[in-house]
Amino acid sequence: MAQLALGNVSKTYRPRGKEQVQAVKRVSLDVKDGEIVALLGSSGCGKTSMLRMIAGFEEVTEGTIRIGGKEIHNLPPAQRDVAMAFEGYSLYPPLKVRENIGFALLRERGASADIEKRVSHIAELLEITDILDRYPTVISAGQQQRTSLARALIRRAPVSLLDEPMSQLEPQLRAILRARLKDYLIEHKMTTVFVTHDQTEAIALADRIAVMEKGELQQFGTPAEIKQSPSNLFVASFIGEPPMNIFDAAIASEGNAVAISGLGPNGEPAFRLNAPMEAANGKRVCLGIRPHLIEIGANGSADATGRVITNHWLGDQSHICFEIGGCSVVGVTDKPIDARAGDALPVRFPLGAVHLFDAESGRALAHGLGQR
Amino acid sequence: MNQISTFERIVRGLLIALVLLFFLFPIFWILLMSFQTNEQILRIPPSLFFEPTLQNYVALLTGRLQTAAGNLDIAFMRNLGNSLLLSTSSVLLALALGVPAAYAFARYKFRLGESIAFTLLSFRFAPPLLVLLPLSLFFRQLHLTDTYIGLIWVYQLICLPLILWIVRGYFEDISPDIEHAYRISGHGWWKTFRKIAIPLARPGIAAAGLLAFIFAWNNFIFALILASASKQPVTVGALAFVTASGIQYGQIAAAIVLSVTPTLLLALYAQRYLVEGLSLGAVKG
Amino acid sequence: MTSLELRNVSKGFKSGKVLDDVSLSVTAGEIVVVFGPSGTGKTVLLRMIAGVHYPDTGTIAIDGEDVTEASPEARGVGMAFQNFALFPHFSTFENIASPLEARETPASKVKEQVGAIARMLKIDHVLGHAPRELSNGQKQRTALARALVAQPKVLLLDDPLRNVDAKLRYEMRMELPRLLRTFNAAVIYVTQDYKEAMALGDRIAVLRNGRIEQWAMPTTVYREPVSIEVARLFGDPTINLLPCKLEMNGAGGQVTVFGRRVPISGAYAHAVGRDLVAGLRPEHVVVTETEAPDAMQFDLDAVMPVNVRSVLYLRGAAGEELLATVSESESARFGRGQRKVWVRFAPGDLLLFDAASGQRIAPQVH
Repeated sequence: MAQLALGNVSKTYRPRGKEQVQAVKRVSLDVKDGEIVALLGSSGCGKTSMLRMIAGFEEVTEGTIRIGGKEIHNLPPAQRDVAMAFEGYSLYPPLKVRENIGFALLRERGASADIEKRVSHIAELLEITDILDRYPTVISAGQQQRTSLARALIRRAPVSLLDEPMSQLEPQLRAILRARLKDYLIEHKMTTVFVTHDQTEAIALADRIAVMEKGELQQFGTPAEIKQSPSNLFVASFIGEPPMNIFDAAIASEGNAVAISGLGPNGEPAFRLNAPMEAANGKRVCLGIRPHLIEIGANGSADATGRVITNHWLGDQSHICFEIGGCSVVGVTDKPIDARAGDALPVRFPLGAVHLFDAESGRALAHGLGQR
Repeated sequence: MNQISTFERIVRGLLIALVLLFFLFPIFWILLMSFQTNEQILRIPPSLFFEPTLQNYVALLTGRLQTAAGNLDIAFMRNLGNSLLLSTSSVLLALALGVPAAYAFARYKFRLGESIAFTLLSFRFAPPLLVLLPLSLFFRQLHLTDTYIGLIWVYQLICLPLILWIVRGYFEDISPDIEHAYRISGHGWWKTFRKIAIPLARPGIAAAGLLAFIFAWNNFIFALILASASKQPVTVGALAFVTASGIQYGQIAAAIVLSVTPTLLLALYAQRYLVEGLSLGAVKG
Repeated sequence: MTSLELRNVSKGFKSGKVLDDVSLSVTAGEIVVVFGPSGTGKTVLLRMIAGVHYPDTGTIAIDGEDVTEASPEARGVGMAFQNFALFPHFSTFENIASPLEARETPASKVKEQVGAIARMLKIDHVLGHAPRELSNGQKQRTALARALVAQPKVLLLDDPLRNVDAKLRYEMRMELPRLLRTFNAAVIYVTQDYKEAMALGDRIAVLRNGRIEQWAMPTTVYREPVSIEVARLFGDPTINLLPCKLEMNGAGGQVTVFGRRVPISGAYAHAVGRDLVAGLRPEHVVVTETEAPDAMQFDLDAVMPVNVRSVLYLRGAAGEELLATVSESESARFGRGQRKVWVRFAPGDLLLFDAASGQRIAPQVH
């Protein structure tokens, strides 16, 4: 539909009598035509401020926003060619769900038969067909949210902005509605920016994810890039469920290889990995490895022995928490593992899955350490 | 869009000044009047400049009013004492009765509960004069006319509903889970009431007590009808300044200043409880 | 030994019946998860055990002693609330100490026990703080410490991880079983999150509309759900439900799914002639890019990565929807979607349900 470009956008709030807050710090973001982008971060990271600046509900303190090459950040919201679904739904209480959804189309003077068709199509998509003739006040929060989403999606505006579009969704509907939503956005080539605090939702829906923290853009990339090469410790630990295992570690060179020791709570080495790489001796780093990539029960070349703390089978995968030299480590496998609390399991950390981060700055140093 | 323009700021300032002037000017004027003699007050045109005199206050404190027609005994100090006694004991009694009742209405659903609570509130709707006629008859029968106890009893009509309804709201705002948690910990209901409910509703209780005190203090009609001069509060006592030889504006103003002072001080003192009451929401949960 | 026993407990409020004939028993050291969507009476059930509500009919016994009518302070249970319910005007220490104080424990002992549990839960550095100065995670740990400090025989946990962030929730999920084991209490744990239920429960009671619909081990609930609704509540993505037809010929049978006949075990012979719905878990759907025998052609409309797997959104020729879970290495091949793929599944993975009653039809082995 249209591309969206944010150039060095900043937002500073100056509450009277209080210190000013820089909610968004010089963020640049290029959203391609038809791309789905997630703004991901915990509350207070500036993601909602960004969305509201694009929509025109907040003034841009510094920087530019362009839609389809046209500068829009000084235009009133109605002239920006954006559709928005609000986190608080903001439905019109005196209108039925059907009228709420079709409201924006009415303004565009569409033929009423055409509007009817589009409303019933989007209602079917979001499973609100049976409540079309009810009023917003008598439907559940989840249904209100879907109505608000439908009202934004039906317009197929050049840019669609969705603020936490699926936070209230019933868990049983989540997967299928995400699927239909993604299909709809791709089919109509809709340029979409959505805000979420839920990393699974961001990964599932977005073509690219902008991870925000403290008003700064931490990383902007595809879900795969963000998972495989997180730019820093924050991104690494924010993405992924269960979260990445992170240990303090020390590097020591031995010939043309190095030994990386994961350290226990009191600084004593808990396990050791040998990697063909060059690195500064004695450097303090953080070692990260995703739970799914730890090999549990590997025969032969085990790196360490883990003592099982808990072992949960969730129906389609096992989550095992075990202890290695005082560090607790979480591993995930697709198959059930027969182990009880207290059992010892051989554990291998594949070098290709190990991430290294600078212990001070948190910056990523390496993703994967080559093969043994 | 969040920035306030200079123009807006000026207009806002002007409007606030107007409102303040409207509300504060009478108080300011009365304060000035209390330092003037009757002649100064009544001169035309009125002037802001005068030689201040303490004569009004002296008259009130000594209980001797010198007028053109001669000396007059007034019982202002006694009235002030009566006001303090009546208001304080009424509020204390109302708190003792009203806080547990408010708790009961907030926490327990019982038959006719809502109706009883509403009936208590409805005492506030009835015009006092309507209630007074039968009351004065009953009081005569019960020998309660012109007694402190009788007045304190009647004052419950003012204080009790106020305390009941305000404090009830505060109790309802406390998450019942907090009390449940305390009881599950092993404490009985009475201890839970004392250690959890009361402390958490304290700002509300203070606010309600303060309001009740002010209402009781300002009451006029009950004491006018049910009590004689020796038991009357300042509000009724001030009538004494409407004398046969004229109205003593200076003394009235001084009396107003003196009688407003206790409630004003109390309000200033209790302000911090009121603010605490507003911020309690942040603590809950 | 049974520490907690509920027998035929029912409870109604003005708005209607909330719990209907609920029976439940928990032994010491066991964690029973009461699982269900919101508004199914989980919280009311917990509050009745705590003594905050009283059942209309039925009995509650703790350690063999009938406590149906006992007041909350007389029951000696520990409870952690979803909203923490900390005493805002007490310090963290006083909060945790309140059950000990009620039992008139000497001050030195209180200090020792509160210190011990605070260290165990890593909140010993905030004992002097007021609740409003604590982070959500610390509040939750304080609430847990308060529930545990007096070593109650029965411990009630009302969705204690609901109000903490995802990372902390996960950590606690891994930490809790070990912690609870050391106390050897009979634990009732209420949650709406099926993963939490499966991870923590020794047994799960699935509560729906005030009744216990299934009462079994976690793996049994997942593999052999008693009804469509239970099957839908467990699993992410939700189980696929497909209309199907069942026929028998000789020893074996056939189900028709997506207009294609698939052979199925003869053990379902008793279900012939009933209206059926087949349930197929997304992880049991096999998706390939090339045609395979028995495979059906689907449109792949969207790909949604989830952790190391991806959920595929598939649509059949007649618009039927199907969700499939594939591993990450496979999902890379499918790109953003919008193409044709081939789908098959093992007939043994199908769960059959009666369409009218929603009950699962178990295979009958003769």
